[in-house]
Amino acid sequence: METVVQLVLNALHSSSLYALVALGLTLVLGVLDIADFAQGALYMVGAYVAFFATSAFGLSFFLALPLAMVVASLLAVTNYVAVYRPLRRFSGATTFIAALGLLLILQNLALLAFGADFRLVRNPFPGVRISVLGATWTGYQAFLAGSMVALVALVYLFLRRTPLGKALRAVSQNRKGALVVGLDPFRVEVAAFALAGALAGAAGTLASAVNAFDPSIAAIVVIKAFAIVIFGGMGSVPGAIVGALIVGLAENLTGGLLSTQYAELTAFVLMIAVLLARPRGLFGAQEAKL
Amino acid sequence: MSAEARALRSSRRAALPWRLLVLALGLAAALAAPHVFTGLAAQHLLVMVAINVILVVSLDILVGGAGLISLGHAAFMGVGAYTSALLVKGGWAFPAGLLAAALAAAAAGLVVGVPALRLKGHYFSVVTFIVGIIATILMTNLVDLTRGPMGLPGIPFVTLRLFGWEHTFRSIVFKTGFYYLALVFALLTLLVRWRLSRSRFGRSLAAIRGDENLAESVGIPTYRVKLTAFVVAAAFAGLAGSLYAHYTAFISPDSFTFVHSFDLFVMNLVGGAGTFLGPIVGPAFLTLLGNALRELSPALSHVIYGALLIGVIVVLPDGIVGGAKRALRALGQRGGGP
Repeated sequence: METVVQLVLNALHSSSLYALVALGLTLVLGVLDIADFAQGALYMVGAYVAFFATSAFGLSFFLALPLAMVVASLLAVTNYVAVYRPLRRFSGATTFIAALGLLLILQNLALLAFGADFRLVRNPFPGVRISVLGATWTGYQAFLAGSMVALVALVYLFLRRTPLGKALRAVSQNRKGALVVGLDPFRVEVAAFALAGALAGAAGTLASAVNAFDPSIAAIVVIKAFAIVIFGGMGSVPGAIVGALIVGLAENLTGGLLSTQYAELTAFVLMIAVLLARPRGLFGAQEAKL
Repeated sequence: MSAEARALRSSRRAALPWRLLVLALGLAAALAAPHVFTGLAAQHLLVMVAINVILVVSLDILVGGAGLISLGHAAFMGVGAYTSALLVKGGWAFPAGLLAAALAAAAAGLVVGVPALRLKGHYFSVVTFIVGIIATILMTNLVDLTRGPMGLPGIPFVTLRLFGWEHTFRSIVFKTGFYYLALVFALLTLLVRWRLSRSRFGRSLAAIRGDENLAESVGIPTYRVKLTAFVVAAAFAGLAGSLYAHYTAFISPDSFTFVHSFDLFVMNLVGGAGTFLGPIVGPAFLTLLGNALRELSPALSHVIYGALLIGVIVVLPDGIVGGAKRALRALGQRGGGP
């Protein structure tokens, strides 16, 4: 029992990070049908902002978190205005290629600027331990999971309750219809990118205190998160969250029971299995859009 | 025959000598190249261009032929490289290893294509991209087979035996011979690509590129056609992988990462997808440019690669060759000449 609880608690840590990135990817995918792999770079930027804000400028971690979200959000909107918007008359595959190009550029700019050294942000809750059903949870792991729940709840409220959030959902459900009733697509698209950027930046910051990172984290994270998006169902918000929870858990089980080497394959195996059995993903409402 | 068709035919007939001239000049340049560039470093680049031409021409069966943007091509190259390297190290003759490499890569193409081709548009691209990552993870973790990140050293050089004549291509110190060998396979790939594009199969692919639903409705078995193209392209990538393995005598998972898949796609796009010359011009141009940039700084080379890619998509969506064709046509119309 204790080991199971421990496994679940450990899994929540990686699941939370996947959920935030997958949610951002899903929002952009739903609204604009862009496979925005550049969000991996936003995650990386979030981590570096946290690192330099806390180490070089002595800022508190809890101030670095919103700062990183704002920076990543601004970068996401810049990507949209500078690259994706000019490309909007092209097909989805073209924008995907452009996204990979952006990821390559940002990741290697970071490599030039910050070097390939591994960085780790100091744990803001040193020594805090919480006992849950006989298993232990570190204070930071609890904070991480709590932050994920809070951010997901905020995004949910935003999408359900605010006019802009409703506009976002409308555009993702039926773009033409949304334009006919007079929604401004530019505003909605900027909002989707800003929100996705903030989520990726938050995930990067939250991860920076537990997982040592270097610029290559950008590609690693976004690839796995996208596998989760395909697994959960493209463009589905619950799919992204539930997919992240399942993949995080399955990964920890594989790592604990089989070998840690193959743990990182788990997300991809689940993705392939879903593609064979149910190409629309767990929660996908329809066959993948063209 | 309508006037339009007649005009088209006569313009084609007029274009034929030009094409033959370009072809003859290109072939002459390819044959003369190792005698003009005699340094080892320069000849190494020539060999890499030839291998990259095989990879990009086969990738273009998918990208230019069917509009299928596959971003995991280096994975199939890797499958071929490891297959051939391990078998020839185990005592097989090179031609058998080469054949096995193509077959193993084709089998891998089938395994990947069956689930991936269920998705359309950029979802297909994303899945092939992710498959490339999975391949690298497997190459790194199947240590018993691949020796993992340490790589596979001591791969035998290519040895050919023909009626008692025997030749070993010691490609580390003497590259001219291997270059011609790679050139033969590059020309073979081009020939297959050219024949394919003029066959019923090629026309089915073109129909799928134009409008997949329409193609399906006129009775083209689109899934099967796409899968066949995917398997054929993978087989040629496996062949290129085998050549690469026996050329460098050392392979490791680093040679077949998603970055390389991406580079191959950029070569295809920059050269001009769906044109005959594009998949030759792209690899030649970018292999040389990439080498010059890497000498400056590897990270900077990726930044420029990424920027170049986005620039090409925006400014020159049909690549260098497509753009040059348009420019020539515009020039011809203005001047009224050929």
